[in-house]
Amino acid sequence: MTLLSGETEVFQAAHDGRCAVVFLAKRHSLAERHGTGDPSAVLAELDRLRDKGWLLSLDRILDAQANEPSVYATGFTHDVDFAGMFEAPSQSAAHAGITALERAGWTRLLRTEWLTGPREFLPVISPASRGTRDEWGFFALWKWNAAWQAASEEQRREYDLECDIAFASDVRAGAAIAGRHRLDAASEWDHIGVWRIPGADMLDAAMREHDRVADFKFTTSRHYLGRRIPFEKAITGENA
Amino acid sequence: MNEYVWLHYLLPRTAWYELETADRERYEREFERLRDVSVQHGARFSGRVHIRGQGDYSQVEIWSFPSAEAAFEHWSRLVSGGYTKWFEFANQLGTAEQNERNK
Repeated sequence: MTLLSGETEVFQAAHDGRCAVVFLAKRHSLAERHGTGDPSAVLAELDRLRDKGWLLSLDRILDAQANEPSVYATGFTHDVDFAGMFEAPSQSAAHAGITALERAGWTRLLRTEWLTGPREFLPVISPASRGTRDEWGFFALWKWNAAWQAASEEQRREYDLECDIAFASDVRAGAAIAGRHRLDAASEWDHIGVWRIPGADMLDAAMREHDRVADFKFTTSRHYLGRRIPFEKAITGENA
Repeated sequence: MNEYVWLHYLLPRTAWYELETADRERYEREFERLRDVSVQHGARFSGRVHIRGQGDYSQVEIWSFPSAEAAFEHWSRLVSGGYTKWFEFANQLGTAEQNERNK
């Protein structure tokens, strides 16, 4: 697969064909639920997908042994109730799995924007990461703007190196980054980067550093911040 | 029909309008050549529709592909060929319904 931009000191290319399955979801109210949406049927389908090689949490994609489905509650500051990232063995497997989940009852419980695309860069896990003790997830969708499209190769390379300063700072501050996945074949976005982080304060400092190195001069981006909850609680709304 | 349906929404960037006619035609020929590569690999092009009156984009192309990977490769060839320098985009990929309504 062609990389949309080159490797850097922080990010190395991956060639495993695996595919991100990202979802931004809002629960239907009880009154809006269509028929009998059954969370247990969705969970059973996730068990089947796990048996087919799916990874069911950001933690599992990064470093955790357990492969239990978890997501990030985002309702406190976003227009979706939760965001999550799974990883499928291939792009076609991702789409087949989404269809299976929807038929199992997902669509009766949730209104969802799905985003899929293959892995470009390998995960980067900080030596300072506290592992699954870090409870927060950060989802960054971005696309290059017209200025990037018009820039020379040299200007783009210089820009990548500037951004790498900020990414190296993120990693020193404890971020565990699930690499980079392309989303451009099936969305309006070029990429997604998903991080596990200690909390909102770390993220605010990180974004100030990305601002300082002018990361956003060449991109339009949308960010989600959430705290980890088990998937089962996310779809039922219990304590979410 | 191929199982995977791919919708490609496009909007020319300012730079596209500012190209000399000869340059624009040269790029169009190159993008058409890349589309032909996909057709030779099993893609089916079902048409390009003008939608400027109802949304953010100017046109939508309707394609189908034998796999999600084939759709990705089609798009990836266009991106590598410089397509996104001239066009904003939003893409959607889905599987065809098999005579069953979405429950």
